[in-house]
Amino acid sequence: MRTLDLNLLSFRPGSKCRTWLALAGFAALWQSGGLTEGRAAERAKVNFGRDILPILSQNCFRCHGPDEGSREAKLRLDRQEGLFREHEGFTVVVPGKPAESELIVRITTTDEDEVMPPLSTHKKLTPAQVDLFKRWVAEGATWGKHWAYETPVRVEPPAVKAPAIAVQNPIDNFIFSRLETEGIKPSGEADRRTLYRRLSLDLLGLPPDPKAVQTFIDDKRPDAYERVVDTLLASPHFGERWGRYWLDLARYADSGGYLNDTLRPYAYLYRDWVIDAINRDLPFDQFTIEQLAGDLLPDAKIEQKIATGFHRNTLKNDEAGADLELDRSKTAVDRAATTGSVWLGLSVGCAECHTHKYDQITHKEFYQLYAFFNSTAERDLPAPRPEELENYNAKLNSWEGKRAKLDSPLEAYLQTVLDTKLPAWESTVIRPTARWTMIKPTDVTIATEDEERALVPDDDLSITPGIRAPLKSRFIVKSTLNLANVTGFRVEALAEPGKTVGRSKSGDFALAEFSVTAKLPSGEQNKLELATARADFETKTGVAAKTIDGDNGTAWSVGPQTKESHVIVFELKTPQTFPEGTQLVFELEHRIVGIMGRFRLAATTSALPLEPNTIPDTLVAALETPHEKRSAAQVNELARYFARTADEPGQKLYAPILEHAGQAPDFPKTSAPVLITADRKTHIHLRGDYQRPGAEVEPDTLEVLPPLKVRGKRADRLDLARWLVDPVNPMTARVTVNHIWKNLFGRGIVATVDNFGAQGDRPSHPELLDYLATEFVRLGWSRKQMIRFMVTSATYRQTSTARPDLTDRDPLNVLLARQSRHRLEAEVVRDVFLASGGLLNAKIGGPSIFPPLPAYITAFGRNRSWPATEGEEQYRRGLYIHLRRNVPYPMLLTFDASDTSVTCLQRERSNSPLQALTLLNDPVFFECSEKLGEKLAAEPGDIDQRLHRGFETCMSRPPTTAERKAMRSIYDDQLKLSGGDGALAMVAVARVLMNLDEFITRE
Amino acid sequence: MYSRRKFLTQTCGGVGGLALTQLLNTDGLLAAASAGGMGGTHHKAKAKNIIYIYLEGGPSQMDLYDPKPMLNRLDGQALPESMLKNMRFAFLSKESARIMGTPRTFKPHGQCGMELSDLIPHIGSIADDICLVRSMHTDQFNHVPGQLLMNTGSAISGRPSIGSWLSYGLGSASKNLPEFVVLITVGRGVPGGSASWSSGFLPSKYSGVMFRNDGAPVLNLENPARINAAMQKRTIEGVAQMNALRNAEVRDPEIESRIAAYELAFRMQTAGPELMDLSGESKETLDMYGVNRQEPKIEGGSLGGVGLFGTFARNCLMSRRLIERGVRVVQVIHASWDHHSRINTELPHNCALVDQPIAALVKDLKQRGLLEDTLVVCGSEFGRTALGENRPGNRSVTGRDHHPNAFSIWLAGGGIKGGQVIGETDDIAWNVTKDPVHVHDLHATLLHLFGFDHTRLTYRFQGRDFRLTDVHGHVVKKMLA
Repeated sequence: MRTLDLNLLSFRPGSKCRTWLALAGFAALWQSGGLTEGRAAERAKVNFGRDILPILSQNCFRCHGPDEGSREAKLRLDRQEGLFREHEGFTVVVPGKPAESELIVRITTTDEDEVMPPLSTHKKLTPAQVDLFKRWVAEGATWGKHWAYETPVRVEPPAVKAPAIAVQNPIDNFIFSRLETEGIKPSGEADRRTLYRRLSLDLLGLPPDPKAVQTFIDDKRPDAYERVVDTLLASPHFGERWGRYWLDLARYADSGGYLNDTLRPYAYLYRDWVIDAINRDLPFDQFTIEQLAGDLLPDAKIEQKIATGFHRNTLKNDEAGADLELDRSKTAVDRAATTGSVWLGLSVGCAECHTHKYDQITHKEFYQLYAFFNSTAERDLPAPRPEELENYNAKLNSWEGKRAKLDSPLEAYLQTVLDTKLPAWESTVIRPTARWTMIKPTDVTIATEDEERALVPDDDLSITPGIRAPLKSRFIVKSTLNLANVTGFRVEALAEPGKTVGRSKSGDFALAEFSVTAKLPSGEQNKLELATARADFETKTGVAAKTIDGDNGTAWSVGPQTKESHVIVFELKTPQTFPEGTQLVFELEHRIVGIMGRFRLAATTSALPLEPNTIPDTLVAALETPHEKRSAAQVNELARYFARTADEPGQKLYAPILEHAGQAPDFPKTSAPVLITADRKTHIHLRGDYQRPGAEVEPDTLEVLPPLKVRGKRADRLDLARWLVDPVNPMTARVTVNHIWKNLFGRGIVATVDNFGAQGDRPSHPELLDYLATEFVRLGWSRKQMIRFMVTSATYRQTSTARPDLTDRDPLNVLLARQSRHRLEAEVVRDVFLASGGLLNAKIGGPSIFPPLPAYITAFGRNRSWPATEGEEQYRRGLYIHLRRNVPYPMLLTFDASDTSVTCLQRERSNSPLQALTLLNDPVFFECSEKLGEKLAAEPGDIDQRLHRGFETCMSRPPTTAERKAMRSIYDDQLKLSGGDGALAMVAVARVLMNLDEFITRE
Repeated sequence: MYSRRKFLTQTCGGVGGLALTQLLNTDGLLAAASAGGMGGTHHKAKAKNIIYIYLEGGPSQMDLYDPKPMLNRLDGQALPESMLKNMRFAFLSKESARIMGTPRTFKPHGQCGMELSDLIPHIGSIADDICLVRSMHTDQFNHVPGQLLMNTGSAISGRPSIGSWLSYGLGSASKNLPEFVVLITVGRGVPGGSASWSSGFLPSKYSGVMFRNDGAPVLNLENPARINAAMQKRTIEGVAQMNALRNAEVRDPEIESRIAAYELAFRMQTAGPELMDLSGESKETLDMYGVNRQEPKIEGGSLGGVGLFGTFARNCLMSRRLIERGVRVVQVIHASWDHHSRINTELPHNCALVDQPIAALVKDLKQRGLLEDTLVVCGSEFGRTALGENRPGNRSVTGRDHHPNAFSIWLAGGGIKGGQVIGETDDIAWNVTKDPVHVHDLHATLLHLFGFDHTRLTYRFQGRDFRLTDVHGHVVKKMLA
């Protein structure tokens, strides 16, 4: 069987996330197997893992595989004991005796009722497959594991007997020796222009600078090529190019999908982390650990927490009335499945509803993996960027300077009242009787209708909800409190000077329910009974008592008095004493009209009744301190309080200060979506339904892989991450080098980059794959070093020109007797246009951009805002385009950018008329040809010289004579058709050049 | 196929400019390039095309398709506890919700005597062509999961839409238009955005392409302002010419595909204006669809926007024109059926908007002999509750909440047995009592009509063979002619 079965190929075309290679590769496997098989002398012994298992998996495991639910005749062929056991009076496989083996009998019989696989499955073994089975049994039926579960073995690179081109490194030994076996010669090295353009596109995703190409051509040093590689690897655009590959795996997007498609304005922090991590060559093991468990690292830095944004890229259903627990559980399912696909190359997600039909992943094991992510919650951490902080601090400084100026006349005035008005006022103040102890929060979250965010209390222990003003929110404040005989609690709703007390449109708030729950060290939970609620002020309908009436539709509000702080106090039915280790959980549920802008909690042991008094505690303390013992600060606070609340001249001096206070700069809103730990029990979901819990499971990994090392009592994400990158794990290094290889050679060594399981392809060069996997670990998991290793091979440097001699033998270029030639990815297509047109804004990182689009394209969903980016920003690289899940940017979609709903391990490379229309007519692409054409038109030299330069700008090579002639004839024709407009004719030629296949192809 | 391509390349390279015009006139040259992903159907197909009218939001079945005289008698009463158990609602509070009657009247239509509401008299006039299913049920009670299930067979995002599966299975019959076209009346906005016509993990060429019904139908179909038609033509020729030169060097079939794609693009540029040009349509046709109808005023405005009567009518007419021009799958979306409040104002308004054009489409297809091959489906993601919606905060009860247990859809043409009603529901259209049809069953039946066994139309993605019907679905034999 020397040629590919094209029929087999034709019924599985490409996919957006290309998996058709799965089948193509499968065919190629038989082909390449056939290539070797054809040589009788080298006819190797049948290997179970390599040759038999894939056929069993493909044809038999559905009914006789790991899944108990669908198993027929109690027979399983995925286990050694199943294959060799006696079954209904027959033995499935008798080593050495094909005729006595029921398996052979059943696959060879002509009896339609007996034959396996049954006719109803529409599956049929090929004669070659039947032959393999027979030979395997005859040769003794040695059993073995699926190849991918075996530890990679590093073998000595095989010698190439008579190299047609010089071997550059061990990669070539593997590739060329295989070619030698097949009797195929590799292609020669590509010329330097092609090599430079190839490297530039592969490593940076940008066309080369023509000067750099010339320098390379002129560089006669023996390591000229390696120098280019090193220069490109050091470019900050390297991180953009390789970061984008990773973002496909991370299903990165700037919105949450579903009905609201809520924007994620700070998702880019994760995107920028990826770019930066790749630029600084963060070793892949650490790169993995930080993304899966950066928050669990000792003394985790904010950047390491931002890395956990990897799993915050999941979709979120925040439709009103949505089943939030379903969404949470499906999110955890996606996180487990994505982790399996990205690092293990296994479709673990297939075991969500039942045991995997083909791979050794049980239903229980899936939920063990799920448990890691089930014990996880989402947070948004304040994460101002350095430049934002700098900006903020500058504004703050100037604001504070002005405040000091406004303050000085007040200060001067205060000095004049200290011994006069102040003592007089003091004697009139009625001091509250209760004394309050501030609650020191240990953990604060705000749970809104669509998210849960962590909040950090201020130094004065007050809490502000932070960036967004959500419609409806519940604050959950946890604290420990060592007090005996607590009689009540207090909430201070604090109005910042110059600002309102609440966040509703009118500045009001509506506290619907207040509750306190004591979690005793014994595990017992008591919701404390509150007898009364009284506020210093309430509206007619928004009375304080409504906060404890059990109805969250009614609330306490302060109506017109929105500029002042307010207080509500709650009396306990019976005084409470909390044993040490008790945790108090305060919940403050707000209604739709608004939440408090800032609040603070306190408890008291004072006798009842408790009065809702707005005089600050510190002021009460100052008042109670004898005059001579008061600190200067206390004196000042008293004087200011007096001046502000009870003294006419003082209030006049205060007015501008208050007004100025309202203009205080806001702290940067930037906050990072991250993961944190949240303890939850995990049960198996029967049939994948979270409402049907089965047995409880603990976080753990797959039995077929090496055991997990657990640091504490219970395994956590950090253990999982470390397990993934433990060199004994046979999967991660193989899967990762295969990804890298795929990006540089057009297809993976395992063509099914997303599936290393039994249904996936076998590696085309297994020993090379293992060599690369072990080399990756040896290189300290350095991505840059691994890429350097690959691109400096002679294999990589070959020309990509098709080989007519191999069209039939190796149409998919599995054996790599040449480089592959492929269309650039969507984002890079845009980048080469912008760069060659001279429009590219090469700025790295920051918020995503919104290139202008017609409204009908952006405004069909429920989330229709598309604030078009203007000026230079709109010419930024493709990877910075805002990715809205419900409204994909048409150009990216048309050029097969990844679908952002699930992890994408390999993109499709389609070729469609919509692509042609885009490159021809889309305003931004036309603008690129305009810019190039106009530039050429304005340059000196005759027409041919200018056309020549235009060609070189676009292709990094001079045109051939035929191409020169063609360009000239196009120019002449366009000149006529445009009525003699030379500049426009030049634009038209530039437009042709930029629409050529070569322009958007890596050769 | 290879030789065709070779011919194409040689023609382009050799004759240059002249070749293009010839190519454009050479029918069938590129047909082979657009064969379906399956390379054929599993059995003989009854339907070749589909027009899928999607009334987003969940139209109220008991106000349109499923007459429930008991509703008015039970108006104001609570539901028994047993019927509320295990039910979840998006908004209404179970404990205090009460049955809400309907002002609608129903009467029999056609030979078959199908009972339909006074809001859809035109659809009543095609009763003998349609198969009404009153026993649809779904698993989802929120819009996006419901729409994803109805339009992609899974409540989880990322799966291919029905239209994409069909395009994948069938390939295109059009040489100058996309295979799968989506026409939208935005209304309140399509909640899940493009997910309902996305190709998911299938190749993006199977994705629905959004068309406008005015001006240039597709994005980037018009030449840049400074480029006249002759210059555009010379540009495409130039691209072909120079691509062919490169191909002589590198011999990559991809270049041949790209040359073909540019030619197709050029043909689309010609086909686009022809498609949009309604001057060939008779006044009778335009009137039948109501393209130039007067739009009635809606008191208090419409959440779904105003000024859409003409748009929707044109979309219906356009879908016929697309089918005539070889487009296989047309999805017509109108997003304005989520009537949580003001149902007795909003529902009549939206019915007036769609009733006439939809009925006209079926009649028009029939009179042109297209209905036989063209399946028309009119549906949504779920129905609505017999209970009035008492959402906390609402001042009064004027609408209905989402209801997954029972809803109605209808089908016509393309192998469907018309003039029949499938399924029954209980006295308040709460639960299905006879012949339940799950969303997966509907999908299995649709694929069956197109010649596909739903268990065998599969696509491998991340190690698994996916299907539209996941692991469910039974063909509803009663639907078939």
